[in-house]
Amino acid sequence: MIQTKKIKEQIAFSVFRLLGFMVLGVLLWILGFIIYNGIGVISWEFIFSAPTDGMTGGGIFPAIVGTFYLIIGSTLFAFPLGIMSAIYTVEYAKNNWLTKFIRIMTNNLASIPSIVFGLFGMTLFVNTLGFGDSILAGSLTLGLLILPVVIRTTEEALKAVPKTYRLGSTALGANKIQTIKRVVLPAAFPNIITGLILSIGRVSGETAPILFTVAAYFLPQLPHSIFDQAMALPYHLYVLATSGTDIEAARPMAYGTALVLIVIVLLMNTLAGIIKKRFEKNK
Amino acid sequence: MKKFIDKLIEGLLKLSGTVTGITVLLIIVFLFKEGSGLFQSSTVEKGYTLLVNSENPIDKLSPEELKHIFDGEIENWKQVGGRDEAIRIFRFDEIFSIYTDDELGEDYDLIPEKLGEVIHTNPGIIAYIPQKYAAKNSRGIKELIQEKIGLSDYFLGEEWLPTATPAPLFGILPLLFGTLLVSFIAILIAIPLGVGVAIYLAEIANERIRKLLKPAIELLAGIPSVVYGFFGLVVLVPIVQKTGGLDLGETAFTGSLILAIMALPTIISIAEDALRTTPKAMRDASLALGANKWQTIYKVVIPFASSGIAAAVVLGVGRAIGETMAVLMVTGNAAVIPHSMFESVRTIPATIAAELGEAPSGGTHYQALFLLGAVLFIITLTISIVAEIISSRKMIKE
Amino acid sequence: MKKLILALSIISIAFGCNTANKKETVTIKGSDTVLPLTQEEMEAYQEKHPEAAISVTGGGSGVGIAALLSGTTDIAQSSRKIKFDEKLKLEESGKEVHEVLIAYDALSIVIHPDNQVSKLTREQLEDIFTGKTTNWKEVGGEDLKIIPYARETSSGTYEFFKESVLKDKNYMNGILSMPATGGIIQSISQTKGAIGYVGFAYVNNKVKDIHVSYDNGKTYIEPTVENVKNESYPIVRPLFYYYTNLHETGKSFIDFILSSEGQKVVSKVGYITLNK
Repeated sequence: MIQTKKIKEQIAFSVFRLLGFMVLGVLLWILGFIIYNGIGVISWEFIFSAPTDGMTGGGIFPAIVGTFYLIIGSTLFAFPLGIMSAIYTVEYAKNNWLTKFIRIMTNNLASIPSIVFGLFGMTLFVNTLGFGDSILAGSLTLGLLILPVVIRTTEEALKAVPKTYRLGSTALGANKIQTIKRVVLPAAFPNIITGLILSIGRVSGETAPILFTVAAYFLPQLPHSIFDQAMALPYHLYVLATSGTDIEAARPMAYGTALVLIVIVLLMNTLAGIIKKRFEKNK
Repeated sequence: MKKFIDKLIEGLLKLSGTVTGITVLLIIVFLFKEGSGLFQSSTVEKGYTLLVNSENPIDKLSPEELKHIFDGEIENWKQVGGRDEAIRIFRFDEIFSIYTDDELGEDYDLIPEKLGEVIHTNPGIIAYIPQKYAAKNSRGIKELIQEKIGLSDYFLGEEWLPTATPAPLFGILPLLFGTLLVSFIAILIAIPLGVGVAIYLAEIANERIRKLLKPAIELLAGIPSVVYGFFGLVVLVPIVQKTGGLDLGETAFTGSLILAIMALPTIISIAEDALRTTPKAMRDASLALGANKWQTIYKVVIPFASSGIAAAVVLGVGRAIGETMAVLMVTGNAAVIPHSMFESVRTIPATIAAELGEAPSGGTHYQALFLLGAVLFIITLTISIVAEIISSRKMIKE
Repeated sequence: MKKLILALSIISIAFGCNTANKKETVTIKGSDTVLPLTQEEMEAYQEKHPEAAISVTGGGSGVGIAALLSGTTDIAQSSRKIKFDEKLKLEESGKEVHEVLIAYDALSIVIHPDNQVSKLTREQLEDIFTGKTTNWKEVGGEDLKIIPYARETSSGTYEFFKESVLKDKNYMNGILSMPATGGIIQSISQTKGAIGYVGFAYVNNKVKDIHVSYDNGKTYIEPTVENVKNESYPIVRPLFYYYTNLHETGKSFIDFILSSEGQKVVSKVGYITLNK
């Protein structure tokens, strides 16, 4: 009796172990595939020059710059807004229907597919508000995309600050805003930054929201202003993989772009992990 | 003064709090307003009309009938309830090969007259011409009644041909089925894998392996959709084609494979959280009663966490349904109702991404795409709400 | 922390201040067929005028013209003539449309290199793409299912093919659509029973092009540069730029393309020059 129980357990555990490693395997397969094919393409020229010869040569600099601008634009929009919103719901709002409503709305916003954001961004920013295909429209759209993430992580960060901090500050005579500004926010800072870093990873990889709001196929001159179009890494990968006269010849460029994208995500994840760990250590 | 600034700041904070609500509301308003405009538009392409000979008893034709006529599949009026007469299709450009530019007058102002002649002398004719050049009140000509696009045309229509002339077809069934098929199969693949790994992480794996696997899963979650699409296009499509001996590799199944991988991190992390919240007391009790670890897991922990796991699955589905780029690149994008998962399909997000650019702002195609966006929004909203309900039911249980 | 915010604000304001140069970039949008040509022309043009700012995006001819309508592009590149109602819409919104012919393009019908079939008539092509003919053995090949590929509906190539080869009939239900030409070449090179149509410049050694007959099988013509120039190859289309108002850089760019240097680039990319 005990034998079969034990055997069943062994089998079950082995199966699960297998599943775990399968998932790991998939990750390694994808990463390996891209790293193996892309590493040979990475060079100084690749990072710092514009595409040439119909995307079969040169580099991806304009796309890197474009993505960079979009990251700045979207975080500039989403962060202050998101942090303030989170401060409101955590520090101020009473537990009434309004707060519940806000929470539900934030969750809903988070579950909306990215293409719907693209659709909305196009109709609101590009058409109705007349910004046209621009870094401005793209940043606002991407900003809306990451807003729920920012709000959620900031809320968690604020909630994690012990009540005693706030009580202590009030006891010393500070009013609510001073408490938040000087005590709660700094304490929650590392977690908020983690949210920022993960959002950056998200923004650099999203294609659907920028398809109709900012992305250009080829813009060798860097954008002059926020009203210009821009190239962007994920869109660049998409067009390299599906358009152009000579897909085969452009393939190496595609691998290189994919690798750069993966590196950015890897970097952001690692950074966030490090900061989290450091914060936990300090506690 | 300070108090005033403080009040200002508080007001600002309150305003920021409502920003997500405002955004969701705006999205709903824009999507539905634009989308519902579709049902105010006529079935025939904007700016065009259909003229027939006045002796023709037919008053109107459905978009499907029009398509079959202009494709040459219906060739006789009696097939659509009219007289036994061959249908003579006339497209606007033909007028230029019948009459010379001079005959058509300066600025083409004689076209309505000439068109009238052509129609009047051809009893079986159906002419597709711009409204501007239709001389409706002439003898011998009758304009077909233009119906508005109906709800059933859209929601129950079986063909999606947004640029068909003369009447575009906006039936979303192929897109709906395509989306559901791909997502459903993806979830079937992802559930055992996802829940299994969640169990492994929560219950079985030791600390060292967890330290390795958890970041790995987070990394999997962070890989951009377009990179998955690229991988799918270059690696999976040929593999599926070869191993399946199929005619082609761009199928719903390939899409499902990629979506499964993309939904995995969502399922794993939420299910794992659910499993971990099982109170230690329950586990200890089970072990005290003589159960081994595995029995504890499947008889105690999993049932306890079942609603959390269910919520995880539901959210995974939501992720899969809304995915755009990866499916666009690997499913072949054929707008047909699929009969098997080894056929090419077209999903709703992919359709929006592929067609939005060319739809002129405010036109019927544009409106149809917005309505698609609204449909997608409702589907993902429902899923999100269902997940909420499932996981809050768990709270009540406690 | 405060300093960081201050720094970021300064950067963003400085960046935003560049809005003084609002829209100096010439935007070109539209046809994926014309895209590689525009790109190479841009590269050549910018060698002579390095300060010129031009951007190009694809999506299909329909995208370009829709953008022209909504005012979000300066030039629409198109591989089909502007439709009558599109022109009407533009004129109704008070914009006058200018059309410039920049090159010619032949449409090649391509199949898998191992496919034995080497010639087809227009009628056979029509039947294949409207779904009436479903097996290669019906047109002289082996017993293999025909898998036709088309472009997305936004594509000018899609429209042109529909007009010229399908004589305005609609494509078959459930035809596979690739978002861009490159995708068609890719898929056809991997799928034995596949058939598709691509711009002449896109044909490479991964696919095989076939000879086409427009006179019911009397003569079959191969898609080559000479056959296009001497007008014997039947599936040829003009490539256009459409614009409403254009400032200097745009006009200068168009002039460049029409010049002999620009036309040299046309040949280099694989399209047919204007002076036949």
